[in-house]
Amino acid sequence: MDILKSIYEVVWFILLVAAGVAALEGYFYTHFKFYARAWFFPAVLGVFPALALAVFGGLLGGYTFKLWLYFLLAEAAIAAFFRYAVKGRHTVPYLLLAPAFVGLALLLVYPFVFEVYLSFHDLKLTTIMMWKNTGTLPFVGIDQYVKVFTTSPLSEVTFWALLGRTLLWTFSNVFFHVAGGFILALMLNNQIRFKGFYRTLLVIPWAMPQVVAVLAMRGEFHSTNGFVNILIGKLLAVFPFLAALGVAPVQWLTDYPLLTCTLINIWLGIPFMMVVILGGLQSISSSYYDAADIDGASYFQKLRFITMPLVRPVMMPAVTLGTVWTFNNINVIYLVTGQAGGTEQADILVSALYKAAFTYNRYSYSAAFAIVVFAMLFFFSVFYLKSFDAAKDER
Amino acid sequence: MKKEMSAAAKRRRLNHLLLHAGLFLFAAACVYPLLRIFSVSLRPGDKLVSMDLSLIPAGATFVSYAKLLGDTMFLRWLWNSLLITLATSFIGVSLASTAAYAFSRFRFPGKKVGMILLLSSQMIPAGMLILPLFLMIMKLKLMNTYLGMIIAYSVSSLPFSIWILKGYYDTIPRSLEEAALVDGTSQVGAFWRIILPLSTPALSIAFLFNFTTAWNEYLVARVVLFSSQQYTWTLGLFELQGQYITQWGMFAAGSMLVTIPVLCVFLYSSKWLISGLTLGSVKG
Repeated sequence: MDILKSIYEVVWFILLVAAGVAALEGYFYTHFKFYARAWFFPAVLGVFPALALAVFGGLLGGYTFKLWLYFLLAEAAIAAFFRYAVKGRHTVPYLLLAPAFVGLALLLVYPFVFEVYLSFHDLKLTTIMMWKNTGTLPFVGIDQYVKVFTTSPLSEVTFWALLGRTLLWTFSNVFFHVAGGFILALMLNNQIRFKGFYRTLLVIPWAMPQVVAVLAMRGEFHSTNGFVNILIGKLLAVFPFLAALGVAPVQWLTDYPLLTCTLINIWLGIPFMMVVILGGLQSISSSYYDAADIDGASYFQKLRFITMPLVRPVMMPAVTLGTVWTFNNINVIYLVTGQAGGTEQADILVSALYKAAFTYNRYSYSAAFAIVVFAMLFFFSVFYLKSFDAAKDER
Repeated sequence: MKKEMSAAAKRRRLNHLLLHAGLFLFAAACVYPLLRIFSVSLRPGDKLVSMDLSLIPAGATFVSYAKLLGDTMFLRWLWNSLLITLATSFIGVSLASTAAYAFSRFRFPGKKVGMILLLSSQMIPAGMLILPLFLMIMKLKLMNTYLGMIIAYSVSSLPFSIWILKGYYDTIPRSLEEAALVDGTSQVGAFWRIILPLSTPALSIAFLFNFTTAWNEYLVARVVLFSSQQYTWTLGLFELQGQYITQWGMFAAGSMLVTIPVLCVFLYSSKWLISGLTLGSVKG
């Protein structure tokens, strides 16, 4: 019976969404199609504000006259816009776009704006009940932003330490992803037997559900039962001289949490780069290499002057994407360190802001923190894309 | 001459041997953790925590699987995940398919701005929107429900889906629709009867992408769902591992049950998935 109930719930919701989309399309269709009719203004002004009041009145608190007036004014503006500016042009594309963009506006743009609003107000555990009941919050100006730079988002680490750690994390991960992916792709790009078999095995870390992969690896870094330390122990038993070089089993999760997270994430991320680079390598025409062979070029010369430049265009978008993904990767760090009593020594900016919001319930603080992180990422991307474009023009 | 050839052949053989050794080593590193999970899932109850490295442990049993299915709500968690994921993918792909068609076939004011907006929305860190979405869901009184999860997930893959679908529509010749239009179909009819059926590969890629994103999601689920009745499998597994005493056997068994189908689907579809990834970026 439970199963039936859950199906019913979800199907009901999908039908609701479909009804919403139909209502939206009907609304716009009326405006696109009948904008020139004599009855256009009286009809839309009579019907739509009343309907909106009926539907949204309950959600927004009371079927008041004031609310109806707002809807009326909004509808008047929209109707005038459609009558005098749009005039029924481009009906089909806008109708096709409307549902997706309304969805994005409600669930992407609005939350973003709401986050900005939160960052200038004070929402925390003590004010959340007030917000739930009345919907208002005390305004605190830029206080939260000041706090981001002066106080610790968690219990000990500072913003600047987190920033440094994030850069280190991003750089080391992306570097090893690209290097490892490149080496593997070069190895796979040969005429050898079992190529497909190796390729299949090599993408397994990417193909596994990330939660499973990270949690399992977390267990394997356990100091006594994880295979990492067991293998180190076996290695020491076979080659005792390694101990003199400082090789020893370590408490990965408590002593080197960031290193552990990095190792796990490198393991997870190499296959993606490998596949992208391999695609690039396979698209290079062999005639370049034939010509280089005739000129007597060595393997490394061919690598440096043919392979690298020709793979670059395929690789750059992947590297950009990989950088942003790594910078924003909460998953690995939270899954490894997020449990009660977990360490803060591995947190980067994004995982700290998640923990600030949901472990420490500092909502507004976390919002301001998020805006700061977003601004950094935004300027990095703009700067990066500019320099990328400039490099393109030079060629 | 003949002697030289054989020297070159010898060197090539050595090269190949080294290549095989290197690839084998890397492949082993990729597969080994998965094999380990498999091995742990087969361990008998009294030897769950051990330093044993053998692939098939002594006294291998399926006890952990039985315990997982009998004692925990694992099947219920899978069911929850499946429902949420199917609903989000369905909504996401439907919205994307029409929007992408508008971008692919029409010229209209705001087209370029719309495309740029779509791309730049990818720059908003996913972790950043969790907090406002969480608060919205709380305000709508949808905490701990499927609907809250579906709402939170439904548009997250939308920009990317629109992007790949547009790339695919662009490769379908316009003459097909023009012929249909001449025959008296409406533009919408042409889309419904010609473009959509022809785009099944791209639609499946988009669906798969939506599906995997939602299926593997953890962070939103962590804050929206709080009763184990409603958990998705990611939360359930985390709980099995995260309690004070880790339920290693059940965790490993659950991991295997989730991973095997996902792995099969991924390996089967990876070719298209990757071509889909590059399609969007190349077509621009």
